Amino acid sequence: MKWNIDKVRNIGISAHIDSGKTTLTERILYYTQRIHAIHEVRGKDGVGATMDSMDLEKERGITIQSAATYCSWQDHTVNIIDTPGHVDFTIEVERALRVLDGAVLILCSVGGVQSQSITVNRQMTRYKVPRIVFINKCDRTGANPGRVARQVREKLGLNAVMMQLPIGLESDLNGVIDLVKMKAIYFDGDQGETIRYDEIPADLLAEAEARREELLDAASMFSDELMEAALEGTPTEEMIIAAVRQGTLALELAPVLVGSAYKNKGVQPLLDAVINYLPAPADIENTALDMANDEQEFTVVPDPEKPLISLAFKLEDGRYGQLTYVRTYQGAMKKGDTIVNSRTGKKVKIGRLVRMHANEMEEIEQAGPGDIVALFGIDCASGDTFTSPEVSMSMSSMHVPEPVISLAIIPVDNKSQGNMSKALNRFTKEDPTFKTFVDPETNETIISGMGELHLDVYIERMKREYMAEVEAGRPRVAYRETITRRAEFNYIHKKQTGGSGQFGRVAGYMEPLEEGEYEFVDKIVGGAIPREFISSCDKGFTKSLQKGTLAGAPVTGVRCVINDGAAHAVDSSDVAFQLAAVGAFKEGYLKARPVIMEPIMKVAAEGPSEFQGAVMGSLNQRRGIIIGTTEESNYTVVEAEVPLAEMFGYSTVLRSLTQGKAEFTMEFSAYKPVPKSVAEDVIKAYQEEKNKK
Amino acid sequence: MLDKDLVMNKTLRILNRKQGEDSTGCRMGVVIARAGLGKTAILVQIALDNIFHGRNVLHVSVGEGLEKARAWYDDMFLHVTGDLPADRAAELAEYVQRNRMIMTFKEAVFSRPKLEERLNDLVYQDIFRPDCVVVDGFDFSAADFDEVADIKDLMSSMNLQVWFSALSHRADQRVSKEGIPAPCHDIADLFETVIVLKPEAPGINLHVIKDETACVVPGKVLALDPSSMTVQEG
Repeated sequence: MKWNIDKVRNIGISAHIDSGKTTLTERILYYTQRIHAIHEVRGKDGVGATMDSMDLEKERGITIQSAATYCSWQDHTVNIIDTPGHVDFTIEVERALRVLDGAVLILCSVGGVQSQSITVNRQMTRYKVPRIVFINKCDRTGANPGRVARQVREKLGLNAVMMQLPIGLESDLNGVIDLVKMKAIYFDGDQGETIRYDEIPADLLAEAEARREELLDAASMFSDELMEAALEGTPTEEMIIAAVRQGTLALELAPVLVGSAYKNKGVQPLLDAVINYLPAPADIENTALDMANDEQEFTVVPDPEKPLISLAFKLEDGRYGQLTYVRTYQGAMKKGDTIVNSRTGKKVKIGRLVRMHANEMEEIEQAGPGDIVALFGIDCASGDTFTSPEVSMSMSSMHVPEPVISLAIIPVDNKSQGNMSKALNRFTKEDPTFKTFVDPETNETIISGMGELHLDVYIERMKREYMAEVEAGRPRVAYRETITRRAEFNYIHKKQTGGSGQFGRVAGYMEPLEEGEYEFVDKIVGGAIPREFISSCDKGFTKSLQKGTLAGAPVTGVRCVINDGAAHAVDSSDVAFQLAAVGAFKEGYLKARPVIMEPIMKVAAEGPSEFQGAVMGSLNQRRGIIIGTTEESNYTVVEAEVPLAEMFGYSTVLRSLTQGKAEFTMEFSAYKPVPKSVAEDVIKAYQEEKNKK
Repeated sequence: MLDKDLVMNKTLRILNRKQGEDSTGCRMGVVIARAGLGKTAILVQIALDNIFHGRNVLHVSVGEGLEKARAWYDDMFLHVTGDLPADRAAELAEYVQRNRMIMTFKEAVFSRPKLEERLNDLVYQDIFRPDCVVVDGFDFSAADFDEVADIKDLMSSMNLQVWFSALSHRADQRVSKEGIPAPCHDIADLFETVIVLKPEAPGINLHVIKDETACVVPGKVLALDPSSMTVQEG
């Protein structure tokens, strides 16, 4: 089987909310002839962008789920994942980055490097994803791509190098100057589909030459050949492209392109750049863990003849059952092949293999290394590895952030009750950041996730897709408890009520754990607690961690050390020692000065400078600490750390404070102790709730 | 919470108050140096010293981003608290964050009226009440006596201590009669304290050219530790 892996590009498109990701993807699909008409995100035709296939996405004008598609450009296959911009759906971005080889980071030429761009860039760095930067919206009033490129260097720490210059800006944006070819590019035709190369306008020539010098200086660092040629004044297009590609793949260079997707300018050269500068699957070193060989790291070889290694990175429950998005790293998968889920050891047969294009699909016979495809009817979890039966490998798992907000939902009738269960079952399988459980005390169904919008979307989807009408309670913050000092315990559990009794004594101490959630240390000597009951103590402590006594929140950051105890030849048992450990924990916990911790969010509110005072005031009122402000032209960004508990409904407040002109984003920063007065309220509320039951 | 001794040995305490007492009220100081000699490091040490003495500091950065200013504080904080237990350092870090606010402006945006507007926002809405303002990156070469005097009036009216950094150039050899170099030679009378950083083998020295608060005898020279840019004792 011949598989030209050099001609495959797996790319993601990521950016701050409203930077134009979906608009750009729509153009890419149009120019690569995957679609035959352009529809806008909030277009008057009401069709909505191709990649926003969910009704909710079309209505709200945001991308909720990452969508996969592919296209062909210059004889290459380009697999594209369009990802959401809102931080609540960050898992979608994480999933995409895990399986992509390269990315396009879109920035707004007016807004510049915004808070979410920093988050996305950090995610790309975590997964070592080479990236090119596209400064979009150069047609907008206030566009300043030079400033944005500077911000890329300063705020993102990338070695940004301009590959293009805009010809005109704002409403005068006419085209771009290619600094490699040293030609002007114009985009003719109704939809900018006809590329016309021309001479660089005379008034921009000096600047173009200066910028090209900068480009040559930066690129020469990656190619001696180019450096010599540049000194002799004879660098060729091929030499520059090769050097920039090398720098980009080494994550030491970030080529910057400019344009306006909405005005159909600069998209085709961006596609050229994807081919020229972003890696083919074989350019990236991916490792798997050899489960049969003590989890030793193993570098996968993108060879179709080798045994299959692939990663399921996204699940979707659709009309035809579960759809599993898979990226193959090594080997090939064919219809009818038997593959193994390395986590469960279960063998499955590939029934249908499809290539996804938004919500449409195309049947294919096989997929080779580096491909992104979808499988039908395979039961697995997000992050599972599928391999050929002869190997046992596992790709490393993805970073999954913990939910920070929860709320109770109550179905309005019996029919909704059943449908709600089905919906929750599906959503939790698809999205590891969305969790659900039934509170054993209140019997309420609790859903938890990454933010208000995240939960809001799932409640709306329950209603629309599963006819499950639910009443949602007030959002609740996911509090945690921890201890602040060392405390000793010495507890005897003794029960004698006929039949065999229960006896166990557990002594030791607990202390704060600087890193990690829980640690159990066994310092028992001389068999004070028999070996077989040591793990029972651990189990008892672990059980106690589930619910602290202050606010009923999970307890974290605790090291439990046992150093003494006693057992009875007849009455000691696993259960007796578990209960003794629970008692010991309770005894020590109250002495260890427990505190309640709350999630603190990093908030960035952006808007016209005239509202700066009002915005800062509103964050201050919410127990926020203003970290700082950045004022540029008439635009200010206020950065603050604010407890999540105070941020519910903030979007409405911000809108009314700023005549709808400001917006904010927030992301989880850290857990910090709540102030005393707030802690008292939280404890009181918990006690009242407990007494009601 | 506060740890005065911690800072006394390591930062510019001696320049930051009259000997034996905490300084209050209006006072204007400037740190003059060529590019890259450590003006921001000195300003940040002055700011941290104020914070550790229970005062609120507004750090105004002209032309640089928020992250850069924060990074300076983080670095200096580490130097100052490096020997402390982790929980104590974390407590102090939180304290510094609460008592400091960073405001950054693009060069073209910063002006005296703008600063007044922002200060009023902070104070009247009770968001943050600074005791000391450090202004890093103010372009003295483009400002005249009246403009700087106007800023001083503003600070006086709000009873604020203010510290500036000023960029000097090797080619500009002008100096005032007290030895204060350009670009502050013509406005030297406005400052109570003037510090000049000079590269002198084997490192960088801090020269106290003028100090009307009588904390230091003018002419005092202190060495900077080149690795941390903190003032060495002596």
